[in-house]
Amino acid sequence: MFHFALKNILFYKGRSFTTFILTFISTMLFIVYVSMMDGSHDSMLKNSLKVYGSAIEIYHKNYRELGGNEYLIKDVKTIENKLANIEGVQLFSSRYETYGLLSFKEYSTASMIVGIDPQKEAELSELKNALTSGEYLKNDGQNCIYIGKGVASKLKVKVSDEISFIGGASDNSFAADIFRVCGVFKTGLFEFDASAAFVSKEYFDTLMLSQNKASYITVKVDDLNEVDRINGEIIQALNDENLESLTWRTLMKTMVEAMEVDSIFGYVSLALFLTVIFFVIMIYGFINVSSRIKEFGILRCIGLSKMRIFSLLFYEIFILSSLAIVMATPIAGYICHYYSMNPIIIEGIAEMYKDYGIVSDELPFSFNLFTISWNVLVVLVLNILSIVYPFMYVYSFGPIEASKHV
Amino acid sequence: MYRLLIKMAWKNSFSRLSRTLLLITMIAVSMSMMIGIQGLYDGMANNMLDKNKRSASGDISIFAKEYRVQKDIKYRIKNAELIKKDLEGMAGVKAVVLRVKADGLGATARKSSFASLYGIDLDAEEKFGRFGEFLKEGAISFDNRGALIGLELAKTLKLHVGSKLIFSTQDINGDINSLSLRVNAIVQTTNIPLDSDAIFVDRKKVQRFLGVKDGEVTQIAIMGEEESLENSLKDKYPEYDVKSFLELQPMMQMMQDMMFIFNSITFFIVMSVVFVGILGVMYVSILDRIREFGIMLGIGMHYKYIRLQIFLEAIFVSLSGYISGAVLGAILLVYLRDYGIDLSAFSDALEMWGYESVIHGTIKLSYFTTTFTAIITASILSIVIPLRKIQKINPIDVIKAEK
Repeated sequence: MFHFALKNILFYKGRSFTTFILTFISTMLFIVYVSMMDGSHDSMLKNSLKVYGSAIEIYHKNYRELGGNEYLIKDVKTIENKLANIEGVQLFSSRYETYGLLSFKEYSTASMIVGIDPQKEAELSELKNALTSGEYLKNDGQNCIYIGKGVASKLKVKVSDEISFIGGASDNSFAADIFRVCGVFKTGLFEFDASAAFVSKEYFDTLMLSQNKASYITVKVDDLNEVDRINGEIIQALNDENLESLTWRTLMKTMVEAMEVDSIFGYVSLALFLTVIFFVIMIYGFINVSSRIKEFGILRCIGLSKMRIFSLLFYEIFILSSLAIVMATPIAGYICHYYSMNPIIIEGIAEMYKDYGIVSDELPFSFNLFTISWNVLVVLVLNILSIVYPFMYVYSFGPIEASKHV
Repeated sequence: MYRLLIKMAWKNSFSRLSRTLLLITMIAVSMSMMIGIQGLYDGMANNMLDKNKRSASGDISIFAKEYRVQKDIKYRIKNAELIKKDLEGMAGVKAVVLRVKADGLGATARKSSFASLYGIDLDAEEKFGRFGEFLKEGAISFDNRGALIGLELAKTLKLHVGSKLIFSTQDINGDINSLSLRVNAIVQTTNIPLDSDAIFVDRKKVQRFLGVKDGEVTQIAIMGEEESLENSLKDKYPEYDVKSFLELQPMMQMMQDMMFIFNSITFFIVMSVVFVGILGVMYVSILDRIREFGIMLGIGMHYKYIRLQIFLEAIFVSLSGYISGAVLGAILLVYLRDYGIDLSAFSDALEMWGYESVIHGTIKLSYFTTTFTAIITASILSIVIPLRKIQKINPIDVIKAEK
């Protein structure tokens, strides 16, 4: 049957060529489109994680939902000692976050002020690399403040200027101090740069009375794919029902959801292309089969079963589809791989879509063999499905009727 | 003669019923899917555009020079009431609103976040942009120290209707002042900055709080009817910063452009594949009847009549596909417009991006006219190659040839 199918493919050149070309196009389109979609989503998530996000964060229960000083973590050292013994945890650090008003001369702005361990934070986030002027924070317990470019422009301050801070301390009392601007950063996250400021936690703790306290503890892991296992071990090690350890999937739920919605719309558009192509392949298959009714009738008359006729049609479409897929996949794969290494750059896209959390003009593709495999499989299955109706048409003829068909 | 040709073309179009039905189904399904997707995407973009206009900038906004760069209340329009009166008397101006804005810190007993205080006039805003339609929860009213809060800000500060809230900022004299408010309603404008930051309060109250005079505002937003209005206002108020909606929201323009490019590419690809489908069917249909055409030429029928018959066949089939697709597409679009797609499961994400959780489509006549043109063009082009084949045949050879 295989050889017979091969001969038919070579004989019915028009149908073979059209099916080949359409399968080739749909395979290329599917692989490249999905790669571009996944790549841009991965990039948005990674950028957000890299800048100031975390693989895992540990909170006191209710801190995220209700907030307030009573839900601060109160024994940071004990938790940090436990984290140090968990395999896969690369680094961790505690952060004390609060909101307050920063003022310089007649200018004021609301800001999120965070007490951090400067040394650890340099490895945990992109804060140090985002420096644009001045210098990054040091672990010297000084009243230095490291502010976002947006904050600096709102307050009209430059490095070395002194700004005042008013906020609430961890015991709900008023806290006020003067900070010296040591450095200005720009991460590209528009809202973050316009609102965040950082202070050495060692110094901030004395002002906020937050020694051994934290809003949360951020954890960096060796391998992001192992995040669920590591999180499970952290929960086990903490063994405290008042604490919760959450992975980036929960912490960035909204963004993950947004990617899912975007993917849904992407797949809807793809479904349109694939449906039209499926119909055309089916039409060509049908035309081909209807011109061979007599041939099928004779084959049935000389003893070929219906199953063998189906096998013949199956082999024909399988050979044609496989050939197109085998040729299209490496080309599409190469395109995906190339653009995953050398992302397309669309100048100005980050500025334009800053409200959506886009921080880079780069549009990288994703190169994932598993994704490519299922894309290819979908095209193959659709092509195989396209012979169902033509076969049913042939099937509707009896052998004698078919052999007399004109 | 022509009546006979039409009759023959009609019968031949449906002589191979399965094949023709398959082609009609392909055209109908692809066309309805395509216009459904276009309607949905346009609906999303238009909805965002419309609500952004109604909730913020209108068609044109006027600011004091430097305000948009400095975002400081120091740069405000001082004779706003007079300008408003003047604008309301101008031809092409539908509605005018005055707004005062100040950035600061919103705080509850447990949470704090950046917030922007917007002083607005509810009646004027209703007339300007049907503000009441943005209501998500509660009642649109400023009674009892009432404030209206953007949906995302409410989520951040964990605010509900009835919650108390303090807004602190610097007034005109540089002093830090606080305003105690009670949430009367939560609103969703689908304008990202407003939903994530805005606290709407009565304009006069905000003016008193900030220490600015009654007629002083940071923005005058205008809803207009004429495109020339922008230039007229730029000429009339050179001392102010007059900006059109798209100048203020370039992302909207880019979004529209990208939507247009995406829809055009989709349209081109789909129509190209549809063309390949029609071509295949027409080509085979003509080849099947090549003897028939040979005989017709042999008995003296002019080639132009055969060409007309084939042309009519292609038109009949494609028109049938188009009509089926148009009906299916119209049903789909009406459904999308009236009921929309409920994506409540992803509401957080959609709201963060400025969309509603139920996405509604839009209907434009152009979906049907452009598709009509494309399908008819594709069907006409699809008969060019088969016709050339007929033109070249020798009737005697074709008649003698075995089928």
